[in-house]
Amino acid sequence: MAKSKEELLEQLSDCVLEMEEEDVVDVATEYLEAGYPVLDGIMEGLVDGMNRASVLYDEEEYFVTDLLLCSDAMYAGLDILKPHLPADDSAQEKPKAIIGVVEGDTHDIGKNLVKIMMDTAGFEMYDLGRDVPLDAFVDKAVEVGATLICMSTLMTTTMGGMKTVIDMLKERGIRDRFKVMIGGSPISQKYCDEIGADCYTGNAVDAVKAAKKLAGIA
Amino acid sequence: MPEIRIQPSGKIYRYEAEGSLLEILLAQKIFVDNPCNGKGVCGKCRVRIVSGEVPDVTETEKKLLGKEELEEGIRLSCLVKPEHDLVIELLEKERKGKVLTEGYVPEFYFDPDVKKKTVEIRKPTLSDQTPYEDQIREQTGARHIAYSVLRDHSFVPGVQTAVLYKDEVIRIEEGDTTDHLCGVAIDIGTTTVVCSLVDITSGKEITNASMINAQKHFGLDVLTRITYELEHPEDGIEQLQKAIVDSINEMIGEICRKAGIAIESVYEITVGANCTMMHMLLGVDATSIGKAPYAPMFVKARELDAKEIGIHAAECARVYCLPSVSSYIGADIVAGAYVCQLKKETGNVLFIDIGTNGEIVLSKGGKLLSCSCAAGPALEGMNISSGMRAADGAIEDVKITEHGVELTVIGGEQPAGICGSGILAVVKELLRHGIVTKSGAFIKKKKLDESDYRYDMIQMNGIKREFIMTNEQKKLLITQGDVRQVQLAKGAILSGFTALLEKAGIEMKDLNKVMIAGQFGAHLPADSLTGTGILPKEVEDKLVYVGNSSKTGAYMALMSGTVKKEMEELAKEMDYMELGATEGYERLFSDCLLFPEV
Repeated sequence: MAKSKEELLEQLSDCVLEMEEEDVVDVATEYLEAGYPVLDGIMEGLVDGMNRASVLYDEEEYFVTDLLLCSDAMYAGLDILKPHLPADDSAQEKPKAIIGVVEGDTHDIGKNLVKIMMDTAGFEMYDLGRDVPLDAFVDKAVEVGATLICMSTLMTTTMGGMKTVIDMLKERGIRDRFKVMIGGSPISQKYCDEIGADCYTGNAVDAVKAAKKLAGIA
Repeated sequence: MPEIRIQPSGKIYRYEAEGSLLEILLAQKIFVDNPCNGKGVCGKCRVRIVSGEVPDVTETEKKLLGKEELEEGIRLSCLVKPEHDLVIELLEKERKGKVLTEGYVPEFYFDPDVKKKTVEIRKPTLSDQTPYEDQIREQTGARHIAYSVLRDHSFVPGVQTAVLYKDEVIRIEEGDTTDHLCGVAIDIGTTTVVCSLVDITSGKEITNASMINAQKHFGLDVLTRITYELEHPEDGIEQLQKAIVDSINEMIGEICRKAGIAIESVYEITVGANCTMMHMLLGVDATSIGKAPYAPMFVKARELDAKEIGIHAAECARVYCLPSVSSYIGADIVAGAYVCQLKKETGNVLFIDIGTNGEIVLSKGGKLLSCSCAAGPALEGMNISSGMRAADGAIEDVKITEHGVELTVIGGEQPAGICGSGILAVVKELLRHGIVTKSGAFIKKKKLDESDYRYDMIQMNGIKREFIMTNEQKKLLITQGDVRQVQLAKGAILSGFTALLEKAGIEMKDLNKVMIAGQFGAHLPADSLTGTGILPKEVEDKLVYVGNSSKTGAYMALMSGTVKKEMEELAKEMDYMELGATEGYERLFSDCLLFPEV
């Protein structure tokens, strides 16, 4: 007997939460074949699982690694469902965010996690990678009309680059067009205030919450 | 060709029957004390002829050697010209081998760059106007005489002592001062600085001292100190240099006082340190080390005058800085790889220095590949909620049993916190008892029966779980965050380890030996290292602790010019792998974060 929609959504969500990268493919296929709405499968199944994982991360039950593994499962499910998304559903306008590790630093695990979480939360992400030349943040943000500029660094030696980016925005007279979010282990709220960034968060889950608030999609 | 067999090593050398025994031995790089350079003056190049035919004892030897010594067959090697097969014994002063009191030191021959030789300056006459300079040159065999020697001396006849650095006379002292010849071997760690006072004549470590690196005022780790330089472009570099130089001067003063030796008897200072510390010691801009692509100003070995950087010792004292490989594989690691003789390995050996930065060198049959990983300060007790340094009151070991938690505290006092070895021990125990799972999360309290011995060991802090180490007087906890910090450090080290093995195409089981360097590593027992999965279980019985191999390397460089050259070659041959630039590193790191299955 065919499973109910709710049953399959719960299974999709559980697969993500339990990092079942292979099982999720079977469940997603079954969901498609049953003819249930694809968007619901993504949002109430896969993304729901990722959100539950963030709650566990908040509670310190899950760690960076666990979230990365959950996202593997989520993307495996997305690969199945996304191609079947009706055109009008996928064309929906999403807020855009630039993200990258500032120039001089190559540590990008934290940045990657934030990117995944924001992607899940409905942002269109432009990932500039690591050791990103500072003006590239500004140029790309202008080019795509981004809402958010997100910068990260692990090293105290390179955090000064964040201030430089904000100063560049001011010089070009476009500081007001973007919200600037910063993070990384040497960064603090104090530093955020000092350099005039809009937001600092201490971990990926909080970063997503803050990003949604800044972009007005909370 | 006749042969010489050397006791006690039993080595045999063939030789051409011309020249003195001393010359023959030196040509084979066998060190024999010879302050007068074979003039038959100093009486120090003694060897014992065990058997074999040699020419009769000379008049000079009868003067310089005691009756008993002559009866034992002791001769001055510079005055013996052998022509036949011989067995000789090198005497105490032959100075080969392990005289450092701590740590692993391989066998090597002493041939220090700094030496003393006595010279007898003849009073010039109308028929012998040989310049002062040439008299010194002739008698010492030196090729150069430093300008300062001429500037600071007059043509006074009599016995004087020349101080040589390699083939240059760098100083002349009145009378015979050959008994006063010391050096200092230093390891500059980011956290701790260690100095050894060494009698270069015997190779003995006379005494040592250690202190916290005074640069800690500018930040605990390398990056923070580099940031200080960035933020203080005017005088940051100078301040950091002054801090470390002052520390070194203080320690040289202290060890010389302890040994009753004048600091003027210290003629050479050799330094092992990480690349950043070396830059800071020399007052060289270290900022480029702190940013990708992490290119340093220099990595090669450097020689300079001690006074150039403000180190107080003999007027002419030299400083030798050991060579580095890259920004994050410093001279301390080159020293370690040398001390552990990795290049001579025929099997697969892994060398690992555990600290805030973990450096790892793999020797695959003598081919060396290295990497560095940012482990963070958790393993040294920092970034841990109840963390402290290994001092009185620090928990250094933890045992969990069904009856409770047993703590071992340094100094036997009431516990005040937990140090690095304690943190590893407690995490190992938490894993062993299933209180922390493989993924690093605490077990849910509701999964435990109230009668379970573990039930009361866990407390809830809101939704977060914590382990109670002690509840007496002061409550000491291990939080989920603490476990995560250890997990990050573990992931960093194990991933570096694994990446090197993968690159070299060998497996864990192919490793013959894992050598653990560093003062910190020395305090970590094998069961903690493998129990927490910093090192895989497979290598548990292959661990060798080598102590402070950076200091040992500095010591060996002090005692041998050959060692310096070999280290410089080694640094050039060591390959470096940038982990962050490795394909799939993020995934490897995250796999390595998992704790081992119990």
